[in-house]
Amino acid sequence: MRWRRPGIFSGSGGGVMDFDLPEELEEYRKKVREFALKEFKAELAEKCDREEIYPDELRKKTFEEGLVDFSNPWKTMIAIEEMCRVDPGLGISATVPYFGAEVLMLHGSDYLREKYLSRVAQGKAMMGLGVTEPGGGSDVAGLKTNAHKEGNKYIVNGSKMFITNGTIADFFVMLVRTSPPDDPKKRHHGLSVLVVERNFKGFDTNHLTGKLGVRATNTGELILNNVEVPEENLVGEEGKGFYYIMEFFNISRVFVAAQSIGIAQGALDRASAYLIAEESRGNFVGEERKFKLAEIATRVEASRLLMYKAASYLFNYRPNPMITSMAKGYASETASFAAESAMEITGSHGLKTDLERLFRDSKIMEIWEGTSEVEKIVISRMMMKGDKNE
Amino acid sequence: MNEQTEMMMQTIKQFADESIADIALKIEREGIPDDLYQKIIQQGLIGATLPPEMGGAGLERSSYDAILFQLAKASPSVAFHVFMNNSIILRFLEKAGKKDEISDVISGKERYGFAPGPMMEGGEDDEGYLIIEPNSKNLIVDGNDGSIFISNAKPELLNKKPLGLRGLRTDIAKGTGSGQKILSMNDSELIWEEGSWHAAAVFLGLAEGALDKAIEYTKVRKTFNYSLKDYEPVAFRLSELKSEMEILKNTLFGDKEDTLTGMMLKTISSEFARRATKYALQFHGGYGYLEDFGVEKFYRDAVALNSIMFRPVRDKRSLASKIYQEKSGFL
Repeated sequence: MRWRRPGIFSGSGGGVMDFDLPEELEEYRKKVREFALKEFKAELAEKCDREEIYPDELRKKTFEEGLVDFSNPWKTMIAIEEMCRVDPGLGISATVPYFGAEVLMLHGSDYLREKYLSRVAQGKAMMGLGVTEPGGGSDVAGLKTNAHKEGNKYIVNGSKMFITNGTIADFFVMLVRTSPPDDPKKRHHGLSVLVVERNFKGFDTNHLTGKLGVRATNTGELILNNVEVPEENLVGEEGKGFYYIMEFFNISRVFVAAQSIGIAQGALDRASAYLIAEESRGNFVGEERKFKLAEIATRVEASRLLMYKAASYLFNYRPNPMITSMAKGYASETASFAAESAMEITGSHGLKTDLERLFRDSKIMEIWEGTSEVEKIVISRMMMKGDKNE
Repeated sequence: MNEQTEMMMQTIKQFADESIADIALKIEREGIPDDLYQKIIQQGLIGATLPPEMGGAGLERSSYDAILFQLAKASPSVAFHVFMNNSIILRFLEKAGKKDEISDVISGKERYGFAPGPMMEGGEDDEGYLIIEPNSKNLIVDGNDGSIFISNAKPELLNKKPLGLRGLRTDIAKGTGSGQKILSMNDSELIWEEGSWHAAAVFLGLAEGALDKAIEYTKVRKTFNYSLKDYEPVAFRLSELKSEMEILKNTLFGDKEDTLTGMMLKTISSEFARRATKYALQFHGGYGYLEDFGVEKFYRDAVALNSIMFRPVRDKRSLASKIYQEKSGFL
């Protein structure tokens, strides 16, 4: 499975800029929204949030409807945004069974793509990405999980933390250290990516509960104790793992921007519906709150345009990490801003509705796939190197 | 800070260390345990500001705010329980001349819940209404027009997991209830305004609780071989927030007592608490997102309390009218 070049967003009328998505994608957006409004039932969203349950039936239904097509990143991005707009916990759960698939698409052997990715594409398996470690966080190159070669196998020891789909995925695309760095200053050397199955001997998981938000998603800790991984499960070349993962983050950050914009748009939908209802009941709605609504709307629009720009570079094979980090960083802060502002606009009403869940869900956007601080490091480093907006 | 307030700070800190710190997470998950309610009564924290002839402790304003501040650092739910009883329920009962009821609350014989949203007939909201400490025998209800009622209605609880004040088993209820009107809107507005100092104490306490956790965490958490505190954005931001905190505390525990200053402090403190708790969580990274680390509760409670205690239109209009000394901000 490879990405198809979408051949879109170059301007339907031949102009330099066209801010409308092609008709095909607009239709797709409508289809996803209708699905989410119909299937993301309030009771399901509340139950999954309260009990921290992954909505597997919803995953299957989303797959059956063909709504998440990872061979078409534009559609994926739009699906993520529209689903998170209705409910972030369910939306992320429905679109995350493929998390990490791009690493295999871009660098996996035919054997690995056939053995693992095709099952995911058929909805028969789920996957995850194992990068973050306890005490690691933003410092990816400082990871401690190691793999040494014995015969035709790698023996893996270590642990991974905050892994999405941690206790439900069938396999993980995992970053490990296969050799010490050749220079202490180049810790990102000597890292490799392996595909590690959950049912390999010595592999254990813990379900992490008590999260602030996105509680419908599954988060786990992975423990690897002398896990034997066949050498053919090496993704790409040994020692190039760090680059593969950074390349992946460049892709996934666009999708996190889509999650964030979905949340921000969802908060905007709810706040504006509340104010419209208040006015229709004859209650006074002053400009203070209307101005706040305008601020949210402006930031949502700006975030979406920035995301489209990052996506346009990326999906046309010209990734621009600086623009991607700008898009992810700004969209994630917009999600938090929008959710908190909507809570302020709606007062105690917001506490009684799913807006409070949106607020709780929004904060993780500024943390996962690179914290806001990491995004600013990427942007400022590239600016200092003279790598401007091109 | 005067000597009496300083002593109160120490006393309540010790109380919080001994009776709350170890069960703070349990309070969030299961609610305030009965023995802690009893200890709060035994310590004389309910009725703290009422005069001795009414069975209270007769504390001055800043000593009472020291209680709220220290409790909020450990558990915003516990602090709000004390705030709600003293600054809302007992104040309303006092103003309404309900002496017997006051005595029952101070002694712990009766407990009142509080419904800050429209519950009375005519004010129905499709989403129901919020009730804090819903299992209490009686309710104090903020009516549709701002007047205050006592109700013994038994609302149908929806068993929702609320955003904040989880230690008080806060829930959403359906239906409407009848009640006895005890105060007019004008009386209740005055009490809300007087309570601004104390609301600010809760906001600032929970903000300091979050900031202290963030400062401790960033000392020990390392990334790229350095402690988080060694990085400018972390150290500078937390230092700025602590600076703001000290300035705000100077006002909270200073000499001023007037209502306008209290209203100003509440306005600034509610925004500050949301900002400070957000950074505190952010600097914990993924761990901050887990309840075990005890910082996410401050973030939730800051926003929930803002929705409950800071009424965006009424409070801002009152403040504006006091500053302009005439009706303002109404268009």
